[in-house]
Formats: sequence, C-alpha cells, structure tokens
Amino acid sequence: MEGRRRRVREADGGGPLIRRTILTGRLLSIGFAATLALACRHEAPPRAADAGPAALAGPGGFHFTDVSEAAGLTRVLHAGRPGKDHLLDSAGTGAGWIDFDRDGLLDIYLVNGWKLDGSRVIEKGRNALYRNRGDGTFQDVTDAAGVSGEGHWGSGVTVADYDGDGWPDMLVTNFGPNVLYRNRGDGAFENTAAAAGVEAPGWNTGAAFFDADGDGDLDLYVAAYIVATMEEVLNATRRLDWKGVDKVAFGPFGMTGAVDHYFRNEGKGRFKDATAEAGLADKGLAFGFGVRAVDIDDDGDLDLYIANDSDANYLYRNEGNGQFMEVGLWSGAAFDAHGAAQASMGVAAGDVIGDGAVDLFVTNFSEDFSTLYQGDGQGFFEDVSDRTGIGKATYMPLSWGAVFEDLDNDGDRDIVEASGHIYPQVDAHPEFGMTYRQRSTLLENTADGRFADASARAGEDFQAPWCSRGLAAADYDNDGDIDLLLTHLDEPPTLLRNDATGGSWLTVVPAGANGAPVIGARVLVTAGGRTQKGDVYNGGSYLSSHDPRVHFGLGTATMVESVEVIWPGGARSVAKDVKANQFLTMRR
Amino acid sequence: MTKRTITSVGCGVALAALAALGITSLHAADDISSGTPAELVSTYNTLADVILSAKASEANVVRSILAATYRHAEVGVAAAKAKLSAGQDARVIVEKLATLVSQLGNEGDASVAAIRKRLLEGGHHHNAAGEQQGIFDEGFVIVTKASRKVFLDLAGRIGKLAPKPDAASLDAAWKDVAAEYAKLTAAGR
Repeated sequence: MEGRRRRVREADGGGPLIRRTILTGRLLSIGFAATLALACRHEAPPRAADAGPAALAGPGGFHFTDVSEAAGLTRVLHAGRPGKDHLLDSAGTGAGWIDFDRDGLLDIYLVNGWKLDGSRVIEKGRNALYRNRGDGTFQDVTDAAGVSGEGHWGSGVTVADYDGDGWPDMLVTNFGPNVLYRNRGDGAFENTAAAAGVEAPGWNTGAAFFDADGDGDLDLYVAAYIVATMEEVLNATRRLDWKGVDKVAFGPFGMTGAVDHYFRNEGKGRFKDATAEAGLADKGLAFGFGVRAVDIDDDGDLDLYIANDSDANYLYRNEGNGQFMEVGLWSGAAFDAHGAAQASMGVAAGDVIGDGAVDLFVTNFSEDFSTLYQGDGQGFFEDVSDRTGIGKATYMPLSWGAVFEDLDNDGDRDIVEASGHIYPQVDAHPEFGMTYRQRSTLLENTADGRFADASARAGEDFQAPWCSRGLAAADYDNDGDIDLLLTHLDEPPTLLRNDATGGSWLTVVPAGANGAPVIGARVLVTAGGRTQKGDVYNGGSYLSSHDPRVHFGLGTATMVESVEVIWPGGARSVAKDVKANQFLTMRR
Repeated sequence: MTKRTITSVGCGVALAALAALGITSLHAADDISSGTPAELVSTYNTLADVILSAKASEANVVRSILAATYRHAEVGVAAAKAKLSAGQDARVIVEKLATLVSQLGNEGDASVAAIRKRLLEGGHHHNAAGEQQGIFDEGFVIVTKASRKVFLDLAGRIGKLAPKPDAASLDAAWKDVAAEYAKLTAAGR
C-alpha cells in the first residue's frame, strides 16, 4: 500500500530493556491514604527501540506515520460480503491494547469477523494477539495464547483484570455468545464466559468493566445492537432504498433492538445478570453500540453512558448503592441540541474542554455531526458541537471510534474519530459528495473552547482513506506520545505511530497492590498552574479498548507541581514536584 | 388494531371477492359490470373505518399517556412543594418531576419509544405529512418538534433545580410546563 511507509531511526538508548525504578523525593498522602501502603515510583517501562523520530513537527504540530506493515500487523479483518448486504457486514470489529505478559509493553488484540460470498461462509476470521517485541515489531502469538475467538463472528474487546489477580483479561463480544478470556499469567488464556455467566448470546457490541456497586470488584455492562439470526444474516439481500438511486442493507429501522446486559460480579469468577435489579433495563430496546463508565458528577462513583444508534443515548447515573437512574432525557446528553436522537456509534468521555468537568462525545452517521456535550460537573450537559467548530468538521463523515487524547502534548486534549461509510454503493453516486472509504478526523483543541480540523496537518499517512471502525489509542512504544490503532473493514489494521512529540508529558499509572491499573481511579495533574484531569478506564470508543495508563501533555512545563490520584472509595494519594517526561506509577 | 380484527377484516374481503366472482359468472358475457363490485366497496369502506378509527385510537392513547404523565407531574410539583415547606430534601421528587416533563416531550417513557419504533418499522407514520414538513419528529403523534424541544428544555431546567430546589423557581418552571401543555391540548381539540 502506497500510504504505508516506514521511517527508520535508531532509537535513543534502544539497548537492553531495563526497567528503572526511582523512588520519588516527596510524597504526600491525605485522607484515607494515610492508612494505605502508598508507593509512588518513577517507572520507565521499556521504550521501543524503534520509537520513531523524536519530532517531525514542531510544538503544536501533528505527524503520524503508518507503521503497520513494518510492525507485522497483517491479519485481515473480515466483514461479511463486499456488497454489505446485512448490517452485520458493515458493523466491523474492534481492537484493544493489553499488556498481557506484563513486560511493560502494550500488546495488540484484534477482533475478526467472517468472510462471506452470498450466503456461503468463506472464512471464519480468527482474532489475533500480537505481542509487542519492543523493537517496533509485533509477533503473532494467537495460537500460543489460545485467543483466536472460538470461531465466532466477533464484535469488540474490552480489557480489564476482572478476577483481581493482576493479569489483564479480555471480554470479547460477538454476534453469538461472548467470550471471556481469563489471563492465566503464563502466556495463555482460557475462556471462562460460560462459567462466569456472561455469554449472553446475541449481537453484543460495546462493553465496559467497572465497579458499579463500590464493592471493590469489577462489574460488567455489555451493549447489544439488533435481534438477528445467522440465517437472516446469511440470506440477507439489499432492499433498503438509498436516496432513490440504489439498494443498500436494510436497517436498523425495521429490526428489533436487542437488550443490553449488566452483570454484577459476585466474586469467585461468577457474575449475575442484574440488569433490571440495578435499574439498567433497556426499556427502549435501543440499538446499543458504545459504552463508557465515567464519573459525570464528581460524586466518586462511576456512571454509565451508552451511545445508541438512532435512539436516545442512555445516561445512567449511579445512585451510589449499585442502583442506577436513567437521567439522559433531562440531563442534556440523550439528544442533540435540537432534541433529535442521532445515530450514535462510538463514545469518548473526559475533560476535553479543560474546565475540570467531564464532557461526552458521540460519533454519528454521515450528514449529521458528531456531538460534543459539555459537562458542568454536576451531571448536566449541553450540546456545544456548533460553537466549538466540531459540527462543521464532522458533518459529512460517518464516524465510529473516538478518543480524547493530547496528541501534540501541548497541554490540552484533542479529539480523533475514525470514519467510513456503511454502504459501498455510495461510491457509485459521487453526486452526493460522500465516499465509502473516508479519512479519519483529528480535531485540534485550540485552547479557546474551539476545535479545528487538523487532519490535513497530521501527515500523509493520517489522511489515507479507509473504511474504519475501531480506534484504540496507546503509547505502544513508550516514547511519551499517543499512537493510534485503527481497524477497517476487510483489511488489516493500521498502526499510526505518533512522530510529533511537540511538548513534554507525564503518564500516570494508578496501580493496585497487584500491579494492575485501578479502573475508576481519577488523576489530577497540575503543571504550570493548570490542572488537567483523567481517569483509568476500559471500553469506550467503538468496540475497542485504549491504553489503561493516563497520559497528559504538558506543553513547555518540565516539572509537575502535583499529581493527585483519587482512588475508588475516595482515598487520595499525592506526589509533589514530579519531573516531566516519565511514567509515574502510584500505588494504592 | 388487533391481529384478530385484521384477520377477520381480511377474511371478509376475501369472501366478498369470491361472492362478486360468483355473481359475475351468472351474467351473460355482454352484460359485464364495469364498476367495482358493491360488496367489495362496502368491505373496503368497513376496512377504512377500522383503519381510521385505529389511527384515532392511537391519537387518543397518546393523549391519555400525556394526560396521565401531566397529572403525575402535577402531583409531583405539589409533593415537592410540600417537602420544601416542611424543610425536607426534595431532590428525588424534583428529579422525578424532570423525568416526567421529559416524558411529555417524548410522548411517554422508553417503553413507548420502543412501540413507536415498532410502528415505524412497520411503515406506520401517524403524521407522515407533518414529518415531511418538519413539524413532527418521526412517529410522533401529538407532540410537535417545537413543543418537544420546549418540554426537553424545561425538563433540564427542573433537573438543574433538583440539588437545591426552591418553591419559587419550581413554580416558575411548572407554570411554563403548564402553558406548553395547555397549548398542546388546545391544538389537539
């Protein structure tokens, strides 16, 4: 592929991968943290030997290089038939970052679909686990790890240590029963979904592990899309009229929405379906896709936001006792500014505006903008897509995966969304101004409450058109900037290495006693008099799972005044006067 | 319209068609009727009555949903004010009130939205012309787009009062809800 070029550079200090641990000079602990064994380390996970040029663009600039081919990411991700006769053919699959062997380097997990020819199954695509060798290349270890996906038509993946043994596990959602890959810690996984009670056969999509009831273990929410059988998928024909010029895949209207599931962790590897009990019954039978657990109102517990296709998005507020209340309709996060339900696919959440409150972002269908909901920190939201410039920049693409990350390390978070149409037929009708393959969009935070489309300034490789779906962000080469992994229909994935380290950075790893990142931990970083906020989470985006570490761009700051971790339950850990440009592990 | 009603109407049409064919066969070849058989016209008329009354029934059901929601909300306002007078925490009841007002804008809760979706899936648009003109959102029966926006905004306004509600602000917001509801019901008469 022409766009896939590789820039080779000998890395600084790319010799033996030695893990360094330096104790911090000054540590503070307040509140309950006084009773906790608090440790804070400046840890340097191994930096990839081929981490790329230090900076191809100046501060505030962006530059991404497609390194997929050189990295060895060759697995083709199948997506039904070329003509996309059923919506399952065009839903695509996701990807996740997981340090499955705990060597400090994030590995890649890819979810695969099936390849069809008419109603004939040509190939049941195998999922792939790629081990990060640390030299810019990845090794396919799928068979050794036993994670090929059990022959199902896959949807997404979310990564978390659900059994608390310190080894990250994976929930793979499918068109079929979910697969729960428990990491045995010896390089291999076992499917425990049936024993755990989380199979929930159906068209499952986005998922997230989070401690919903504050009991210290991770519960699970799984969104579902449409009630459909494999027979219907295999025998589907294109029968929906598209703009009076072509026939395309039918739906989602005309199909019945499938119910989402909430599984409460009962301990000992068992979950119980407590959907209705917890107030999470999917009464609207919405077409569910994106799932993100995040504390929207700063009350210390995790709320739940679900991006629904063509239906009101759900915002379930955690009432603090494992009970949830749907508040989307009056909190401002269910519809766009005009009160209309949008065809939402992916989700991102966090303080992207920079005012200390959690904002929400959903990607939507083409000829409709992606929506940024500005939060007020009290649980209320306002659609600010128009006035931030996001509306105009995102109107034509049909978008899926999304992430808030500071991609130029200038001290504020930018937005990336992955795009691609669902109807290949659009290419036959250029008069409508849309294409099947589409460029991803990079929205640069201009720090004045607006976002500018910086896609054209992000390098040639960033602008390559694909029919993208999943987007998972991570600093896979541990060089202090965030790289992007995209999945596409019927192609191998794309790994875009970030080569524009404009400013300094700090990546914080709030870790539990077992070393695993603590989901739900919030991080406040103050540098140069400004405080930024982030959290440890899994899921989000579209069918994908990002780097669990919390990355902050710091601009020109070389020192961080304070790093504060607020652990689930409210205990706090604080580190003062921390040097920039390092990975900082803070232990609970 | 129940499945049973549809089935019986369908059977009636089929029988009438058979009867009409039978009548035709009794006439001489040069005496063929040039009009639609009266029996079929009559049956179609009956079917039209059923279709139109079903549509009217749908409007009545949605009006009843709105009325019930409004009455619940009225009770909610009174209950919230009583709590406030007694110096008690009214947050929960005010949030429920916000939910009810949002349901005025949505012609019911999520369960109703699921039914609306089912009807749309079957090709039924109660206000097809209104949708074309941008007056109604897809599948909505009584609540116009404009009215929906007003209710949703009011729901947000009431929701924002919930953490620290006061009777005066609640009254003011409710006055606006009542005015919008009155406008809506007046338009439906």
